Amino acid sequence: MIAVSRRDTFPLAITVLALAFLSLFLLYPLLKVFGASFLDRTGTSFTLANYTRMLSSSFYLGSLYNSLLMGVLATLVTTAIGVPLAFCLARLPIPGKSALLALAALPLVLPSFVAAYALVLLLGRAGIVTRFLRDIGIPFTSIYGMTGLTVVFALTLFPFVVFPTLAAFKAVDISVEEAGQNLGSSRWRTFWTVTVPIVMPAVLAGALLVFIEAIESFGVPFVLAEDKPILAVEAYKLFVGELGGNPASAGVLGVILIVCTALALLLQRYYLGKRRFSTAARRTPPELVVAPWLRRLAAGYSWGIVLIALVPFFAVIVISFMEFRGPVMHPNLSLNNFRDLLNQSSRPLVNTLTLSSAAALLAALIGVPIGFAVTRFRSRISDFLDIVAMTPFAVAGTVLAIGLVISFNSGWLVLTGGWLILVLAWVVRKIPFNVRASAAILHQIDPSLEEASINLGVSPLMTFIRLTVPLMIGGVIGGMVLTWVTVASELSSTVVLYSGPWATMTVVMFQALEGTGAGIASAAATVLIVVTVLPVALVYRLLRRHELGMM
Amino acid sequence: MTAISIDHVSRSFGTVRAVDDVSLEVRDGEFFTLLGPSGCGKTTLLRTIAGFADLTAGQIRFGERRIDTLPPHRRNTGMVFQNYAIFPNLTVDGNVAYGLKARSVPEAQIKERVARALKLVHLDGYGERWPHQLSGGQLQRVAIARCLVIEPEVLLLDEPLSNLDAKLRVEMRAEIRQLQQSLKITAIYVTHDQEEALSMSDRIAVMRSGRLEQVAAPQDIYRAPATPFVAEFMGTTNLLTGTVTGRDGDITRIGVGQREFRAPSRASNGESLTFSLRPETVRLLAPGEAAPAGWATLHATLARVEFLGALTRLELDLGGGTTLRVASLDVLPGALATRGCVVAAYDPRRVTVFGGR
Ligand SMILES: Nc1ncnc2c1ncn2[C@@H]1O[C@H](COP(=O)(O)OP(=O)(O)O)[C@@H](O)[C@H]1O
Ligand SMILES: [Mg+2]
Repeated sequence: MIAVSRRDTFPLAITVLALAFLSLFLLYPLLKVFGASFLDRTGTSFTLANYTRMLSSSFYLGSLYNSLLMGVLATLVTTAIGVPLAFCLARLPIPGKSALLALAALPLVLPSFVAAYALVLLLGRAGIVTRFLRDIGIPFTSIYGMTGLTVVFALTLFPFVVFPTLAAFKAVDISVEEAGQNLGSSRWRTFWTVTVPIVMPAVLAGALLVFIEAIESFGVPFVLAEDKPILAVEAYKLFVGELGGNPASAGVLGVILIVCTALALLLQRYYLGKRRFSTAARRTPPELVVAPWLRRLAAGYSWGIVLIALVPFFAVIVISFMEFRGPVMHPNLSLNNFRDLLNQSSRPLVNTLTLSSAAALLAALIGVPIGFAVTRFRSRISDFLDIVAMTPFAVAGTVLAIGLVISFNSGWLVLTGGWLILVLAWVVRKIPFNVRASAAILHQIDPSLEEASINLGVSPLMTFIRLTVPLMIGGVIGGMVLTWVTVASELSSTVVLYSGPWATMTVVMFQALEGTGAGIASAAATVLIVVTVLPVALVYRLLRRHELGMM
Repeated sequence: MTAISIDHVSRSFGTVRAVDDVSLEVRDGEFFTLLGPSGCGKTTLLRTIAGFADLTAGQIRFGERRIDTLPPHRRNTGMVFQNYAIFPNLTVDGNVAYGLKARSVPEAQIKERVARALKLVHLDGYGERWPHQLSGGQLQRVAIARCLVIEPEVLLLDEPLSNLDAKLRVEMRAEIRQLQQSLKITAIYVTHDQEEALSMSDRIAVMRSGRLEQVAAPQDIYRAPATPFVAEFMGTTNLLTGTVTGRDGDITRIGVGQREFRAPSRASNGESLTFSLRPETVRLLAPGEAAPAGWATLHATLARVEFLGALTRLELDLGGGTTLRVASLDVLPGALATRGCVVAAYDPRRVTVFGGR
C-alpha cells in the first residue's frame, strides 16, 4: 500500500468518478426497484401493500420457496461433487492433470442455459434419450423441475467450489500436517483436525458463489423449471411478460431476491470473519501414495465429472449439425440450422461481437482504476467504494435490468431502446470481477515500484499510466477476454433490456427456445460456444486459473 | 547541496507513535544515518521526508524551503529502496532514464547523462541489460544511478544493503560513501546495522520507539553513549549497576556485588549508578605484570573462552553472579594458561556512567 500524501488528488479522483458511475448505473436503479416495491399506485406514498399482496399469493410465496430450495440443493450437490474432486486434483496422482484442470475451468465461461437447453434436447419430454428409452420400454418421464435444475447447476457451477478448495488443499503447509502426525494422530484424524479446518473457509466461499449464482440464474430455470415459479423468472415475467408492465410486483420479487443474496453474503462474512485462515505454505503437500485401485478410482472420478460436465455442450454442437423438420430431429448431417440462423439476420452476431467488445473495454477502464484505488490507497472512502463495487455481485441481472429500465426510460437521460443500456448493464455486472482481478494482479506488483516512480518526479496519475498499467497489462487483457466471453453469453439482463435491432445471439437463442426452433436454437448455442471457447483457448496462457475462479 | 531541518515531527499509525516528536538538523553534504532496531520508526521518518507518509505534526525544510506540504513527486529527493524497486519492464537504460523523461530532458542529453550515471556506479556497458539479468549488487547500483541521475537535493537510502551478502555489503558501503563524498550530496541513510552506521556516517542518530536517543559522530556515540540503550545497541558491552562507595579525586568507586569498579563521576556515596565498560577496553594482565598507571584491576576467574580467529572473547566470573565480558585481539597464552585465576585491568576514564552528574 502506498501511503500517498493527503494532498494527492489522483486516488480521490478515481474514487469520486467511480462512485459517480456506480451511483448512477447501480445504486440509483436499485433505489428505483426498492421505490417501485414500496410505493402505491400513485407513486407518491409509502406502502407495504405490494409486499402483503405478493407474499399472500401462494404462487409467489412458492417462487421464494422454490428459489431457495433450488439454491440449497445446487449448493449441497455441487459441494459434494466439488470437494472430493479438488482433493483428487490437489493430492492424488491423476493422469493428464494439467489438461484436466484446463477442461475443468471451461464450464465457468460456457453459458449455463445452453447446458440446460442441451439437457432438454437429450432428456426433455421429446428428448432424444427420452424417446430412445421409451422405445426400448424403459419408462422415463422427463428431467424438468428440481432434478434437472440441480443437475445443470452441479455440472456448470462445480468449478466455483473446485478451484478455491484446490488452492486451499495446496496451501495446507505440509509441516502442519506432519506436526499433527508427529504428535501421534492417525492420518484420518490429522485430516479431520488439521486439514479440514484450513480448507473449510475456501469451501464455504465456493459454496456461497454457487448459491448466489443459482438463485440469481434466469436462463437455467427459464428452460428447466417448467411450471415451478422461480423468483428471477417470475420477476422477468411480471415486468416484460405477457401480463407485462407491473414494476411494483416485479420490484417486490427483485427486492426479495436481493435480500436472499445479501443474507447469504452476510452469513458468510460473519463465519469467515471469525476464522480467517492464512497459511503461507512453505512446502506444498506432495501427492499422496495410495493403492492402485484407489488411484484408478480417483482418476475415473475426476475425469468422469469433468467430461460429463462438457457432454451437454458437445451434444448441442452435434445436434446443431443435424437436420430438423419442425421440432423433430432427423439423424442426417446438415448445415441448414446455421443457414436458417443467418438468414434471419446476421445482425445479432454482429451485435454480440461489437457490444461485448465495448463492454469488456469499458469494464476494464472502470474496474482497473477501482482495483488500484482500493488496494493501493486505503481510506474510509475507498473502503466504501470497495463495498459498492462488490454490490453487483449480490444483484441478479434481471433485477439490475428492471432497475435500469425504470430509471432510464424517461426523464433527463433516456437509454431504453438503444445499445448503450445493454453495455452499461453488462459493465456494471462485471465490475466486481474486474476489480477483484486487478486487485489480485496488483498484489503481485511491489508498491515500492510505484513509489520509486513517484520519487523520481512522476506524478501518481502518470505513474499509474506509465508504470502500473504496463506492468498489469497481461493480466488486464486476460480479464478483458473473460469479461468479453461472459457478457457475450449474458442472458438475464439482456432479455429485459434489448430492443428492436439490438438483439444479441443470446436473445436469438432465447426466442428460439420459446418458439419451436430447436434447430436454430442449437445453431445459435453452437455459435455462442465457439465465440466463448475460442478466445479463452487463444489466451489461455495469459489467464491464470484463479482469475477464472473469480468469475 | 541542501541542509535538512526536521522540526518536531510526529507520525502516528492509529495508536502507534511510529515517529514521536523528532527534531534534527542534517548539515549540508552530510552523510547522516538513522540507526535503531527494527520497528523503531526509521523507515517512517525517512518516508515523511520523501513524502510517502504524512506528518501528524511538525515541519520539514530543505534549507529555508518548507517541503512537507509538497506532494512526493515534487520534493526532488532520490530514494533507494531496500528491495531495489527496479522497474522490471524496462532495461537498465530505461530505468535510469525514467526520471529524466518525466522531466522532458532532450533525448541527446538523456543519453549522455544516463551513460555518465552508469559509469559513476561502475555499470558502463550494462545499459541494454534487463533487470532479471543482473545480480543483487548490480540492481542496487542501478537503483542508485537512477536516483543520482536526476540530481536530487537529498539522497534517501532505506537499508539498501540488507539484501546483499556479507562480503558485497562491505564493498558497497565503501562505494556508497565514496560516491556521496565525491558528489557532496546530503544523504540520509537508514540501517539497523551498527557497524554499517559507524563505518559510513558523518553523524548517527540512534532511534528507539519513535524517539531520538542520541545524535553524535560515530566515535562519540560509541565511546560516550548517552543512554544504556545506545551503549548496548552500538556493540557488546558490560552494562553494570552498583552503589557508590567512595571517591578518589574525580574517580568514583562503585560497588558491584563483591567487587569494586572505578569510573569518572561526581555521584555521592550511596547513590545507585549504571555504567558501561566495553569488553575491548579491558585487558588481562600476564602473571606478574603490573597494571598501567591509573588503571584499575579486578581479580576474577576465567569462565569461558571463545576463539574467533583475530579476536578472542572471554567471560570472567567476578563472583556474586556478576560476569565481565572481555574482548582481546591478542590474548597472552600465559594469561590463559593459569586457567582459573586472572587479573583484569581497565582504564577508569573509558567507563561511561549514565544518570548521575
Ligand atoms: N503503514 C503502516 N501502518 C501501520 N503501522 C505502521 C505502518 N508503517 C509502520 N508502522 C508501524 O510504525 C512503527 C515503525 O515502523 P518502521 O518505520 O517501518 O520501523 P523501522 O523502519 O525502524 O523498522 C512500527 O511499529 C510499525 O509497525
Ligand atoms: Mg524499515
